[in-house]
Amino acid sequence: MDVRALADEELIPLMARGEARAFEAIYERHSGAAYSLAYRMVGARSVAEDVTQEAFLNLWRSGAHYDRARGSVRTWILGIVHHRAIDALRRASVHSKRRSDDETAAERLEAPERVEEDVARRDEAAIVRNAMEVLPPDQLKVIELAYFGGFTHVEIAEMLESPVGTVKGRMRLGLKKMRETLAHGAVGT
Amino acid sequence: MSDHDRFEDTAGAYVLGALPDDERAAYVAHLASCAACQAEVEELSVAASALPMSAPAMKPPPALKARIMAEVEREAALLASAGEPRREPKPKPRWRFSWPMGAVALACVTLLLGLGAGAAVFGGGGRTVPFESAPSLAQASAELEIDGDKAVLVANGLPAPPEGQVYMVWLVGPDGKPKPTSALFKPRGDGSATASVTGLDDAEAVVVNTEESPDVTAPTSPVLMTATLS
Repeated sequence: MDVRALADEELIPLMARGEARAFEAIYERHSGAAYSLAYRMVGARSVAEDVTQEAFLNLWRSGAHYDRARGSVRTWILGIVHHRAIDALRRASVHSKRRSDDETAAERLEAPERVEEDVARRDEAAIVRNAMEVLPPDQLKVIELAYFGGFTHVEIAEMLESPVGTVKGRMRLGLKKMRETLAHGAVGT
Repeated sequence: MSDHDRFEDTAGAYVLGALPDDERAAYVAHLASCAACQAEVEELSVAASALPMSAPAMKPPPALKARIMAEVEREAALLASAGEPRREPKPKPRWRFSWPMGAVALACVTLLLGLGAGAAVFGGGGRTVPFESAPSLAQASAELEIDGDKAVLVANGLPAPPEGQVYMVWLVGPDGKPKPTSALFKPRGDGSATASVTGLDDAEAVVVNTEESPDVTAPTSPVLMTATLS
């Protein structure tokens, strides 16, 4: 049986039974998105590799926990990566070393290789980026600081010198608006 | 102010992972009984789970796959040699957020455990540290085979964790707070188990408890085994 022909949802039970080839097929499909998210969050190649490794080994050892009612396998994997990246950010104080979106020349040299997105991913990414771009800047900022920066709403409120309630409200309103925009572009989860 | 009013604006921060631990715990408890918040979390999760797609596409280095597959194949071989596939827990109910603590005791008594037969699997000349177990695991023996900043946990006589849970390894640093690791395991049919642990550099102790979800940042059930490194 060529496991690469199986759907994610069929691979997970095989992986949970200890079949390394099923895990490998999952890795091949989702490691790009996982590593891209990790790098976007931690901004350092070695830390992104550690986060991706931790997340996939976690996946391998806990595959039996996948619950398809909670979303796709990809959503589940990226959720694990997100948690691990937040742990890494909070653990290693990468926050203090990171430079917002402005990388130094040295960091650019060490950055991972950018890849051309395939058509499906390019379309999907365009829909998501569009849904983010139409948000008011103050809503987009708190969403990005929270999701990609790993900051709590309390930390963001301090950073922006805004009331906590305002920050939470912006997160909620921004995500609601994004959800509505995405509904027109039909990005699956 | 009603409980719901208190949490009215919280769903966004929750799905973004931006709630401090104490607030998150309070919100999760509220969610379990609030259909309106459940619906909003579900709705906003669609947007939050799309956010990773906006990240520029990067190519993971081939060496990363090689490292991961080496570990996976090593563990798969161990599982195969044990002759018992991993078991799958029953599907979890969607809104069950409170994890059962299990009937385990909190206290870790000083009980030096004999070296298990599993040690022979790994052999080698690394430093070995025995685990101290809670009374509920009095029949178990476990030790940590340490090699640099990595270690292999070898256990014998370990009871199965509560239904739907796995054993999880945590590293306790100088600040005394347990940090999660990706080391999760279930004992085989004969009660033996192994797990690889990395990142021991500044760890002062390695502890084990049981968890239902691997995505926790702090232990949600009592510590069952402790190996003190320093």
